[in-house]
Amino acid sequence: MKKQISLMVGLAFAPQAHAQTAQDILKASPESVLTYGMNYSQNRFSQLDKINTTNVRKLVPAWSYSLNNNTGEEAQPIIYDGTAYITSQNKTVALDALTGREIWNTPVEYPPATTRVVCCGIVNRGAAIYEGKLFRTTLDARVIALDIKTGKEVWSVKSGDANDGIAMTGAPIIANGVLITGMAGAEYGSRGYIEAYDPQTGKQLWRFYTVPRPGDKGAESWPDNASNASGGSTWTTGTYDPDMDVVFWGIGNPAPWNPLLRPGDNLYTNAIVALKPKTGEVVWHYQMSPTDPFDHDNITSIITADLTVEGKPTKALIQVARNGFVYILDRTNGKLLSANPYVKVTWAKGVDLETGRPIWTDATKKAMTLTDEIETWPSNSGGTNWFPYSYDPRKQIAYVNTLDFGMKYQPAPIEEIRNLKPGQGHRGVKITKLYNDNARGHLRAIDPFTGKAKWEIPFKSPNWAGTLVTAGGLVFTGTLTGEMIAVDAEQGKIIWSFQTPSGIIGQPVTWEKDGKQYVTVTSGTGGVYVMNTPDPNLKHTPAGGTVFTFKLMED
Amino acid sequence: MRSAFLQLAAVGLLCSTASICNAQATAARGERLYADNCSTCHGEELQNNSTVAFDLRRLKADEHERFVTSVTNGKNTMPSWDGVLSDQDKEDLWAYIRANANDR
Ligand code: HEC
Repeated sequence: MKKQISLMVGLAFAPQAHAQTAQDILKASPESVLTYGMNYSQNRFSQLDKINTTNVRKLVPAWSYSLNNNTGEEAQPIIYDGTAYITSQNKTVALDALTGREIWNTPVEYPPATTRVVCCGIVNRGAAIYEGKLFRTTLDARVIALDIKTGKEVWSVKSGDANDGIAMTGAPIIANGVLITGMAGAEYGSRGYIEAYDPQTGKQLWRFYTVPRPGDKGAESWPDNASNASGGSTWTTGTYDPDMDVVFWGIGNPAPWNPLLRPGDNLYTNAIVALKPKTGEVVWHYQMSPTDPFDHDNITSIITADLTVEGKPTKALIQVARNGFVYILDRTNGKLLSANPYVKVTWAKGVDLETGRPIWTDATKKAMTLTDEIETWPSNSGGTNWFPYSYDPRKQIAYVNTLDFGMKYQPAPIEEIRNLKPGQGHRGVKITKLYNDNARGHLRAIDPFTGKAKWEIPFKSPNWAGTLVTAGGLVFTGTLTGEMIAVDAEQGKIIWSFQTPSGIIGQPVTWEKDGKQYVTVTSGTGGVYVMNTPDPNLKHTPAGGTVFTFKLMED
Repeated sequence: MRSAFLQLAAVGLLCSTASICNAQATAARGERLYADNCSTCHGEELQNNSTVAFDLRRLKADEHERFVTSVTNGKNTMPSWDGVLSDQDKEDLWAYIRANANDR
């Protein structure tokens, strides 16, 4: 009894000693990495320049740490107060950021049926931290809070169920003191949602369903099937604008992929939705791909940027979308300002700037109504995918790992999709990818106003990792064959490379401690491409998760 | 005349007994079950980069029991399919995998 009381007192007081506040996240000091995307605009741009184009050749590992997991590492590290926090699908760890020594290690366990509804990599993409707690999601769709000092669980909430097709892989964010998360599972007929919790208690504050029911706003966009419409998962992380107090969240594809039984625009699938973090109230939405047959899952990262558009200072947002267009929207009202292809696009001739709607090609119209085979670009994997790009606000250039392949596509007959139940596979299409084996992907420096690349570097296997850009003139990313690379952001040349033990599908970050700059990234192959796609170039890249931190070699 | 004969011969070759005919039907059904439930992790058309998930083409003719046990109960991050796939589903999957096995 006595022991219990002292433990409770300990819990009540510990967080204060180690609390990062909303103010800290706003400040986004280059010493730490406190939020997904490295700062609230999610541009993954760092002011740090101690590591730069002239000395990057001296970049060497400071330490590495085994995550003892072989399913793939996609998490963005969080760096706070000399500690690195890393999530994997089966654990959360805190490491001394300077030495790599483990401070705590809290396993994640889930029932054996869980991964039945995990379509796209047995992974986790990162954590949020706030006022003494670390928050993450789990594959069995729980949202949990750990004490940041000890790793002990403070609360755990069951959000969704595998039997409803729901899993969770995304990193949550903190917006105006509220914890916000998304979910995954449009490939299993789940009904998508975004939800908010009180970070202190785990009490659910609101849930916004991305797919309406009859009577809800948007139901008219599912004229045939609003009563059981599904899809619209929310499996990456939204972006918060603290001045507007609005969160912008990318919404995924409709279910099933086969569109024959769901005519209409299918709101809010493949849209960006702007929400009030305290209430979940929708401020505006803009839909990139209505009636999407192609799994153009609109979940790529959203970057806020203040731009000059036609001579006017504009609060904008940029999205390099999976459907092959790079969009610029006015983020105060969701109005489309520009949309241009950044990879080969054949599903639409363009986007009408007046109506904001894509101009479908005949092949796309066919795919929406018939079971004929068509060829279309980009493929269902998109022109890029979940892995976040970075954006240099000084140069107004986005650094994007692109996917450069198309597909042959054919919807299955209606009978095969008529009676699908949540939890079952929801595709109902036949897809054959069209690859150029010399360059399945590129790293591109893209002008978001035109979609044109200032430079591009081809890769045999597409990069499946995030990018990071620094004031030192460097773009960091990783390859599926395991090289961590630094690219000269002006010249588009790889000027440093380090072979890690496995493929890189993580998100590099940079930070500073005692005047020295560090770069941290996870290595560990996996993710949907590596698991699903035969790729002769990946024969000699074994699995196995590690965390690497690099620094400049000292004399 | 000639083409009709060839067709008959082909059918005879592929399907010389009722049990072989059966095996073909079940492998075809197994292929669809595989595409819906297994391909995301085990690779398109069983082609696997041998990294995260086991390459199912490595299963040997005498590993039927191992196959059924693993699929029913799961193994580490491999999901369990108990109550989701029927015995017949598992046999059809087995037929498809065996038809494409390394040591056919
Ligand atoms: C979420 C990903 C995932 C899905 C879906 C999946 N598997 Fe697996 N499977 C794995 C992984 C990972 C392993 C390796 C497990 C280990 O040894 O740790 C595996 C291993 C196996 C094994 C070998 C187990 C052993 O005895 O060593 C068999 C057999 C198998 N899977 C069959 C299937 C079949 C059949 C399906 C579809 C019905 C399927 N799997 C669906 C991930 C998956």
